[in-house]
Amino acid sequence: MRGLFWPGVVTGLAIAALCSLLSVLVVLKRLAFIGQGISHAAFGGVGIAAAAGLVVGAGLTPRLLGVEIGPQSAIGVTFGIVFLFCLASALLIGWLSERGQTEADTAIGIVLVGAMAVGAILLHSSQTGVSWETFLFGSIMGVEWIDAGIGWGVALVTLLTLWLFRRPLLFWAFDPAVARAMGVHERTMNFLLMTLLALATVTAMKLAGVVLATAMLVLPGAISLRLSVRSGVVIALAVAGALVGVIGGLVVSFEFDWPTGPSIVCVLALLFAGAKAAEAMRHRA
Amino acid sequence: MATPAVEYRDVSYAYPARGDSGSPRPVLEHVTLTVNEGERLGVLGPNGGGKSTLLKLTLGLLRGASGEIRVFGLSPDRAVREGLVGYVPQRPDCELAFPISARQVVEMGPALALPAWKRLSADHRAAVERGLHVVGASSFADRPIGHLSGGQFQRVMIARALAASPRLLLLDEPTVGIDVSGQQQFADLLKRLHDELKLTVIVVSHDIRTVAAGCDRIACLSRTLHSHVAPEGLTPAVLAEVFRHDVAGIFGEVHVDAHAAAACKDPSHHHHPGGGH
Repeated sequence: MRGLFWPGVVTGLAIAALCSLLSVLVVLKRLAFIGQGISHAAFGGVGIAAAAGLVVGAGLTPRLLGVEIGPQSAIGVTFGIVFLFCLASALLIGWLSERGQTEADTAIGIVLVGAMAVGAILLHSSQTGVSWETFLFGSIMGVEWIDAGIGWGVALVTLLTLWLFRRPLLFWAFDPAVARAMGVHERTMNFLLMTLLALATVTAMKLAGVVLATAMLVLPGAISLRLSVRSGVVIALAVAGALVGVIGGLVVSFEFDWPTGPSIVCVLALLFAGAKAAEAMRHRA
Repeated sequence: MATPAVEYRDVSYAYPARGDSGSPRPVLEHVTLTVNEGERLGVLGPNGGGKSTLLKLTLGLLRGASGEIRVFGLSPDRAVREGLVGYVPQRPDCELAFPISARQVVEMGPALALPAWKRLSADHRAAVERGLHVVGASSFADRPIGHLSGGQFQRVMIARALAASPRLLLLDEPTVGIDVSGQQQFADLLKRLHDELKLTVIVVSHDIRTVAAGCDRIACLSRTLHSHVAPEGLTPAVLAEVFRHDVAGIFGEVHVDAHAAAACKDPSHHHHPGGGH
């Protein structure tokens, strides 16, 4: 196996670990569409990073506002910019819909296309030397060890945060009305969830691209919830499903030279179809 | 003298006006009421009469009321933070697809107040089992929460509130959607809460059957507090005064004189959309 493969695999494992648990919450709280909104917003963030000179193809030197910086730093700063842009978009969606003046799905639709449009214009006018497809559908080619480091850093922070806030977060997710009555701060819980979703999206984007990053935040949960109603089993199956999806997708992508994101999504979609069939058979039995 | 469980002193509350039109909508006016520790108080009133608002004020969920509310001598927020208050809302709006058992739901009650690094203690687990037992949910405690009937689910919600070992339990329309045998079981449950846990309970309902059996005292609330008398002293005249033409709401099966209802022109007697929630 070529050396190039390993940073991608290690990053993929981080993505699987961090997205699998979140995906159960995303499915149960019906956040799949807001996840779409956040992940597409990442494209706007990429556009900003490109306009700043951070996003460049192989052989070119990244710059930050005209000053040359190292490729590793460029990856780190880009991650930060895209994350902040995603978080701002999530908060904008929340702000638009919370005031009651815009329906949540309309707000998501507007922010999604707005961010995509900004990203497209900025990428078009920046000389990046990188194909758009890389950002839209992900690629293992550009994944470096620094990405794996960021991925595992984000995964550990996410898992630790979920563990620390598991009680109020689960109470609120299960029964928001009584959680409020018992003193759980709803805005804090919402902000926490949006921050974790934005972090996970930006991390997953590296392999899956902005269009397909939400697959990692929806499919593992959707698969596991088809198969069990026991919390421990659901979590274990979500982690297993995400691992099979990422590793399977990477192998397929590598062997057939298919784009990485679509390969991962296809494997996950197949797993979902299998889970759905298993569920249907159990109901008939 | 012991501190009363709940004290309402001249409490008034109006929902703020929405948009440019309309004026603040008063839902509670000059409510003064004392609930003693260990007492089971039924608050009876029509829809939109301010019952749920009273509970929300007692929980600190609504602010801006005039007058004073004290829960065990504390402000409502403080009493909730100290874990003194349990609450079971009307028509719980839970995510029933959650992959958790009834027991895990009940465990959420005591777990919420614990720091993340602490596990449920043996005492907490005992409180969970006691809660399940008191409401009669032990037999289905391991079933997934989404697989329970409406009545079973309601009991699990009460068990969750009990498992956090509150001293005051607030129940909002606890028997909505529960059949007659369920109503009787609910009255028995209130009695057990009283006898076994010495809990102070406030039950609000538009249904006289819910508050008549199992409560020590009934207060009638329709914006103002009409009277609070022993169940046997609750006369048709008091009920008529409280419910006006809204008696159809309580005695759905009783024929209500349509002419009498139509003759009532007082706009404040009409049900406001979203009122009482």
